[in-house]
Order: sequence, then C-alpha cells, then structure tokens
Amino acid sequence: MAEEIKKRTTYLSRGALKPRAYVGDGLKVTFRTLVRTTIHRPNTIQYPWETLVKPECYRGRPGITLETCIACSKCVKICPNKCIEMVPIDHPTLGKVKRPQVNVARCMMCGYCAEVCPTDAMIVTPEFELAAYTRSALMYDPIKLQHERKPGYIVHSPMVTPSEMKSGRTDSHDKGDMAIKDTVQLDSRKCISCARCSKTCPVGAITMTDTGELNPKTNKPVKKPVFDDNKCVSCEQCVDVCPKSCLSMKEAM
Amino acid sequence: MELHFDYSGLYEFLYSVSSWLLWLVGRAFEFIGVDSDNFFYPVRQFLTDQQFVYFVALILVALIYLVAGLLFGIQFIWMERKFLGRFMDRRGTQVGFLGFFQNFADAFKVLLKAVIIPKDSDKRVYQFAIFGILAVSFMLLGLVPWDNNFYAVNVPLALLLGLAVFSLAPFTLILAGWSSNNKYTVIGGMRGAAQLIAYEIPILLVVVSAVVMTGTLNFAEMVAWQQNNVLLFIPLFIGAITFFIAGVAESERIPFDLPEAESELVEGWQTEYGSLGWGLIMAADYLRAYIVCVLFSIIFLGGWAGPDFIPGSVWLLTKAAIVFFFMVWLRAATVRIRTDQLLKFCWNRLLPLAVINLAIAVLIRVYSVGWW
Repeated sequence: MAEEIKKRTTYLSRGALKPRAYVGDGLKVTFRTLVRTTIHRPNTIQYPWETLVKPECYRGRPGITLETCIACSKCVKICPNKCIEMVPIDHPTLGKVKRPQVNVARCMMCGYCAEVCPTDAMIVTPEFELAAYTRSALMYDPIKLQHERKPGYIVHSPMVTPSEMKSGRTDSHDKGDMAIKDTVQLDSRKCISCARCSKTCPVGAITMTDTGELNPKTNKPVKKPVFDDNKCVSCEQCVDVCPKSCLSMKEAM
Repeated sequence: MELHFDYSGLYEFLYSVSSWLLWLVGRAFEFIGVDSDNFFYPVRQFLTDQQFVYFVALILVALIYLVAGLLFGIQFIWMERKFLGRFMDRRGTQVGFLGFFQNFADAFKVLLKAVIIPKDSDKRVYQFAIFGILAVSFMLLGLVPWDNNFYAVNVPLALLLGLAVFSLAPFTLILAGWSSNNKYTVIGGMRGAAQLIAYEIPILLVVVSAVVMTGTLNFAEMVAWQQNNVLLFIPLFIGAITFFIAGVAESERIPFDLPEAESELVEGWQTEYGSLGWGLIMAADYLRAYIVCVLFSIIFLGGWAGPDFIPGSVWLLTKAAIVFFFMVWLRAATVRIRTDQLLKFCWNRLLPLAVINLAIAVLIRVYSVGWW
C-alpha cells in the first residue's frame, strides 16, 4: 500500500520528470477545483459581510453568571496568561462580593477558567469580535463579563484516571467526582484552632468541631476543622490562608 | 493637398489623419499671412512636408499600438490573478468591478515609490537594463499584427525579426543581474540567460517547420495560408505543444521561473529594482507572455482567421487569451523544476520533438503539397 502511494505521488523516475505524476494529476485536480469554484463559489469567506456559522461550543471570550459564582478563585489560579483577578463589586442582590475580572486583551481564549469552575458559573461565549480603541475598554469587569447562558457554553472535561484505564474501565468522571477530586489534609499537631479556614471556605465545607480535649491553660474545649469532602471544591483558599501551614492538598491522581 | 482617407490599414488611416491635420495647419499659416517671403515660411514648409507627416503618423501608430498592447497585457495580469484564485479555491483580486482596477492601483502605488539605486551598483548599466528589456518587449509588441488592417509595421521577414529581437532578452537579463552587484541577481541573471538561450532552439525549429509549411515569414501571409488550407495546429500538433512549453519557459513563468525563484533568489535578477523600474520590468514580463500567446495563436491557431461576424482582432485576442488560460492552468498545476531537470527536459525532450515536427512538416510539404 505504502509502496503504491509512493509510486503514485513521486513525480521523478530515475531523475526524469514523470508526465502523469508531474503534470497530469496536477492539471486534473486544479481543473476540477476551477469548475467547482466557478459553478458554486470559492472557499473564501468574505468576513465583514459574511461569517461562518459558529458552533455553540465555540471558545470565545469568557463569560460569567454572577449569582452562581462562589468566588473560589480557581479560575485565577488556572489562568495561563494571568489575566483574571478577583475584584470587589457592589451587587444589588448579592451585596459586597468578590467576582473575577478578565483582561480580555491578554486572554488567549483557552477556556480553562470555565473548565475548572466548580459551579459552571464561568462559561465560554462565542463572542470573538473584541477590538476596542483603548486598553481599558478591554478590561472586562464582572458586570461587563456577564453573558446569557446556553447549555453549549458550559465546558465539560470528562476524565479517566490512569489506574482505571489500566484496569480497562472506560467510564469517565465529570468535575467534582470524588475519584478525581483533590482533598485537604490537616496536620493537627500544628493547628492552633484559629478557624480562619472555616471563615474563608466559599462553600462552607469546613466546620470547627470539638475534639473532646480541653486546653490546659484556658480550660476551654479545643476545636479542630473537619472537612466535608463532598462539599469541597478543592479551591485551596484554606491552604493559602492558614497561618501555621498545617493544611495541604492531597492529590487524587 | 488632396483630402483622401484610406481605411485599409491603421498606418494608412493615421497617415491620412495626420496629413489632414497638418494640411489644416498649413492653411492656418497661410491665413495669418506666412508667405514665401515671410520669416516663418521655413516653419510652415517643415510642418507641411511629406516626411514630417510620415513622422507624425508613425508616432501616432506607435502610441495607439503601445496603449492597446499595454491594456491587453494588463488584462492578462487580471486574468492571471482571477483564474489563479479560482484554481486555488479562493477569490482573486476584488478591487473595483471584478477586480479590474487592481492593476491600476498597483501601477499608481509603484509610481509613488522612491527610486532607490544601490550604492555599489554599476548605475548606468543598472538603469539601461530596464530600458533594454522594455525596448525588446515593446519592439516585439510593434511587430505582431492584430489584424489585416491593424498593424504597426508589415515587413516581409517579420517572424525572423521578431525571433531575433526575442533572443536579445538574455543579454539584458545578464546586464541587469551583473550591474546590480548582488549575489541573487547574478545567479538569477545567469540562470535566466541559460534558460532563455536553451529554449530558443526548440522555438526556432518549430517556427522553421511552420515556415516550411506556409512558405513565408510574413504574419499576414501565414494567416492567409491557414485560412486557405488548414490550421497549422492540426498537422503540426507536436510542434504546437513544443512551442507552448518553450514559450512558457521563454516568458519565465512557473514551472520554469528559475530566474526569479522566490524561495531561493528573493526575486532573481529583479531583486535590486524598485519603484517604477520594477513596475516596468513586471509589465515587460507580462508583455512577453502576451507576445508568446499572440505568436502561438498566429502561427498555429490561424490568428485573426474566423467567422466574419466578429472582427479579426477580437478573434486574435480571444485565441491569445485562451492560450494564456492554459499558461495559468499550467502555473496552478505544477511546481518549479530544478535547473538540471530544466535543461535536460529542453535538450532531451523538446529538441527531439521539434526535430520530429520539422520532419513531419517537410514530409507533408513534399508529398501532399497539392491538397494542403
């Protein structure tokens, strides 16, 4: 087969040009193209006047739904171009909250922010005509970043763990599945029971619970954080905020 | 002076027009009182002289022929852009109505550019080379007739003269390449000269076979022979193919564009030329392609021979455009070949074909002169 293809496609035999392969095939293909483009139309799209039909899953600029966002700032961490930043806004219904702001001038439309978003608040929109006259106009604050939702705008990234692939299973995990979720681990010897992690947690997955011990100095019960892994979104904010570095992420894979 | 219009040829017509105009000028001089004893009488005599009338007519013919030829050459550029676009599944040029104004826009753009002459070049030769290649192309332009009535000159040995002028081109290529003082241009010029000289020979042999068949070197008589007998394309089919391929090589077009291979030599022997100089060289390039097409259609396709409801020159230009379409098609379909393949192809394939074609022509001429 390969030998036959090679024989057909090479246009030299012993240093001389083969008429059929060098001229004949080319003439045939180009003439077919000429006839097709003359009867129908060339492949070119005349862009400002015509546009291609964009699929719903087209990855343009990111968009957001402010109500479902939980300000976990996973999008800030994943962004390869570091163009997302959490900014405080004053929302009529939500009050004073932090929401992501995207510098679209620096965005490369990879859609990772929507891929990692635990609540699918971040979506990719089919908007790609983003030219503006100033750089500040390209700084999309959370209000400007809002966009209507359609099912196709949500980015799904089903995963299969390597161990499952080895064992021959083909069923995949969506984001948030316990099999692929990173979890938080506590080194309780270092913990000083400051409860910052439970205050920081955007989903309320951390509760300070009694351990049954008493503090020998103050005679008050000692509380340690307990993590609800089903609620956790692996946003690592508690890890970042811990003053004694007693929290760490345990990677699932 | 007798007023007398002769519409039989472009030259005769313009001679009548200019003689009429200058006769009016003479009358005007007479009216304002320039007589034989006047100081300005020699001027009047000069303006109404027979030789001066000839001169004015010649200039008018040259102008009209140049403008007509250049316009058609420009139309060839449009055709190439548009057809090449369709061959490559895209739209060609789109400036103005169907892209007709692209060439004019390009011409104006080139016209407005600064003239830059390389510091280390041989300046006089560098500039002469432009005029050399232009002169060669425009001279050919004047030699090929469009019709029985539309021609600039009608000399008995027009074909011979045309091919002699055609073979002057390698000389200017080498001059241009050498005087630019640049490696690319020198290599391009050398390649161009080697290629043009090599492909001259099959062309000459094929033309000789056409001359053997028709027994004349004059374009008009050649076309008349074909009108009376048969289009030379039919008996000399091999020769027509050979002439076409060699003609593509002569006009330095893909797949024989080695002298200006962009991927190796930037722009070949034209690399150092800019602004209007480059524009004129480009125009001359297309004029040479146009001349090859017109020569092909005169020698093999019967020139302006065709049904009478369309004027003869239109027939000729249509045939030339069809030949050029095949050139564009070949350009779209093939890739550039190597220098050794180029010369091998010429000496090992085209030359034998041309000789075979000549033999066929001689045999036909000897054995069947009666019915062809």
